[in-house]
Amino acid sequence: MAGNVLVIGAGIAGIQSALNLADKGIHVYLVEKEPTIGGHMALLDKTFPTNDCSICILAPKLAECSDHPLIDVLAYSEVESVEGEKGAFKVKVRRKARFIDEDKCTGCEDCVRSCPIKIPNEFNLGLNMRKAIYIPFPQSVPRVATIDAERCMHFTKGKCGVCLIKCTRGAVNYDQKDRVEELDVGAIVAASGFQVFDPRELTEYGYGVHKDVVTGMEFERILCASGPTSGRIVRPSDGETPERIVFVQCVGSRDTKHSRPYCSSVCCMHSTKEAMLVKEHDEHIETCILYTDLRAAGKGFYEYAERGKRDYGVRYLRAKPGRIVHDAKTGNLDIWYEDTTTGHVAKMSAGLVVLATALVPSTSTAKLARILGVELDENGFFKSPDSLLRPVDTTRPGIFATGYCEAPKDIPESVAQAGAAALRASKVVSGVTA
Amino acid sequence: MRPEIESLLKETKAFMCLDCGKCTGACPLARQGGTYSPRMHIARMVYGYPDEVLADMDMWSCLTCGLCETKCPSGVEYTDFIEEVRAMSAGERRGGFCAHAGMTHTLARIMANDGENQDRLGWVTQDIKTAETGEVLYFVGCLPYFDTIFEYIKIEGTGIARNSVELLNKLGITPVVMKNEVCCGHDLLWGGDRANFAKLVKKNAEAIKKTGAKTIVTSCAECLRTMKLDYPEFADFKFEVKHISEFLSERLNTPGLTLKAFDGSLTFQDPCRMGRHLKVYEPPRQVLARMPGAKMVEMRSNKDNSTCCGTTHFLNCDRVSEGIRKERFSEALATGAKTIVTACPKCQIHLKCTQSNRMQDEGVENLEITDFATVVNRHLMRN
Repeated sequence: MAGNVLVIGAGIAGIQSALNLADKGIHVYLVEKEPTIGGHMALLDKTFPTNDCSICILAPKLAECSDHPLIDVLAYSEVESVEGEKGAFKVKVRRKARFIDEDKCTGCEDCVRSCPIKIPNEFNLGLNMRKAIYIPFPQSVPRVATIDAERCMHFTKGKCGVCLIKCTRGAVNYDQKDRVEELDVGAIVAASGFQVFDPRELTEYGYGVHKDVVTGMEFERILCASGPTSGRIVRPSDGETPERIVFVQCVGSRDTKHSRPYCSSVCCMHSTKEAMLVKEHDEHIETCILYTDLRAAGKGFYEYAERGKRDYGVRYLRAKPGRIVHDAKTGNLDIWYEDTTTGHVAKMSAGLVVLATALVPSTSTAKLARILGVELDENGFFKSPDSLLRPVDTTRPGIFATGYCEAPKDIPESVAQAGAAALRASKVVSGVTA
Repeated sequence: MRPEIESLLKETKAFMCLDCGKCTGACPLARQGGTYSPRMHIARMVYGYPDEVLADMDMWSCLTCGLCETKCPSGVEYTDFIEEVRAMSAGERRGGFCAHAGMTHTLARIMANDGENQDRLGWVTQDIKTAETGEVLYFVGCLPYFDTIFEYIKIEGTGIARNSVELLNKLGITPVVMKNEVCCGHDLLWGGDRANFAKLVKKNAEAIKKTGAKTIVTSCAECLRTMKLDYPEFADFKFEVKHISEFLSERLNTPGLTLKAFDGSLTFQDPCRMGRHLKVYEPPRQVLARMPGAKMVEMRSNKDNSTCCGTTHFLNCDRVSEGIRKERFSEALATGAKTIVTACPKCQIHLKCTQSNRMQDEGVENLEITDFATVVNRHLMRN
């Protein structure tokens, strides 16, 4: 039926688009490559500028997608090909084998508890371990287990089989195969999000060399009660509480030399939020944000940063460090910087350094653009033929883009733009010219 | 804005500066105190105070080591900026303080203007093979002069040249060594004296052409950079230029070559000209690591983050330069290595000079500082 809409990517932008469409009575396929929907918002501890618990406001939306009669959640699935044209696309979607019968699995996790294999947990960005059979996080949708066939001993060595025995529902099925489903849709909304820039290439910051240099996204997990440290703020190297945490802004963003000239748009705010949360956890930890230009331009954002300074004692210093080195005597990191308001050069010592790393178009965005036959802009975001008046359109009629994959933006903007993309897509399937 | 200032800002991408200060945060001079700030130089130039910048003695302190430039998110070419500014200000009879009474600069100027009557080959003894024509040329550089100028700190000098030629001989190559070679001109170029630099380029280019050489091998990082990047700007100069470590790393699998065991650990001092200027980091490490038993250890700052030897182009060698070298020695001591290998004679001069200072951290006096060509030649065997 060409009255369907396909939404690709189930982060907050894709989820909101799907809900808006379904609430208008349009049937939606919501495709997500990960085992669960939720995207990056599910990884955040709190959200700015209200300091709401991120998963607490997201989880009801995940459940709503799951329960909505007009939304088919196709998680652990990837779009393979798109043919046809606006109003009549034929889409092939690979439903990757979870080796679990989704209808039988109740998410009890008996299998997870008995699995002997431990591997780094992507949901906590590798800061702790998960099993080879796993449910990414407690609020996962669909709440069913997935077997990581690359690591499971049954697949790698032909041994084990504990999960098969432990599952009282008989949901484990090692013989399950990928299936390719063909969908008929009238319009497509791409919401493939971002990925965190790997700051290893900026060797001066020592990420990947010093354990106590982490990315902002990793720090979200350290802050989070459901994270690897259960919300205790400790430095990864030795589990000690740091005396000072320093946030470094624009790590990889606004970098014309490496073709990332854009501002990632959310980092000034998320570092402010994280510094505030540190103070809420432990008022004795000093926090300092080293920024280039404080970009707090959204509604209530400037006031939020002011609150950080006034009520939380967050220190802001206009500086960008050029050198972060480990001091073997103290175990701390020495950060060398110039205060650009005074020209004063100094060293600051910190137990933990949080890099506000650039958010870049995910690698799946480039792949998706090829499959969709649409153009990307010079920075790898979806390109609009008219970015002023048709910002959510792509270069192919009937295909729209929303959220971070269209351009850097925060959660409120992603939600607002998701509505715009939903409206544009609904016009196509309602037979009105888009 | 004066047209020459505008074109300077365009060519060096100074207009792209975000005023973030990362350059100063990376600068080894800035860490030693004082007022040095690459950011401020760019800012003052961009905001229209060129005469302030041209008159600033700090412009002569810059090591042009390229650390700030490598780290700059906007790609501002600060080392070129300094080179241009010095050329402009030298024209107004300004200048830095030349170390060693300006001897190296004076020698270069003598060679530029009347350099034909040197005894450049006194070090070439009968046991090493050199030629007057051939495909591979070994460019000796200042080494014969360093024997005399820096005798008091026991510089390897022409020992490096001998070792380099022996290395080439072991590869089956009889390199050209020119009796009428003149200084590459590195120090004059970075000291703002383009006129005399151009004369040196012309002399060397003509002399090299006559030898029939296709490849120039050097054991000096400054000669390497100068002939690779600067000569083509000043003359028709289409030779392949390689540091001996690069040349050797490509030929280590030559049949009959073996490396003897090296007992101990060593660390490598990246010369700024070879490292950040030309991005040659791995070849010397690859060769050194091939010696059985050699334990390569890295200093805390290495490769693109490496701290340079504290003085370049023999300008403004002072308390700050000493401080940088002391910082480097403490990093070297922390590795536990007994040997610091350099790939630039100037690194060796500056490190050995500071080492000879008796006010040192314990252990510095026992560090062996030696050249890449020396250590490798001692261990490379030809069956």
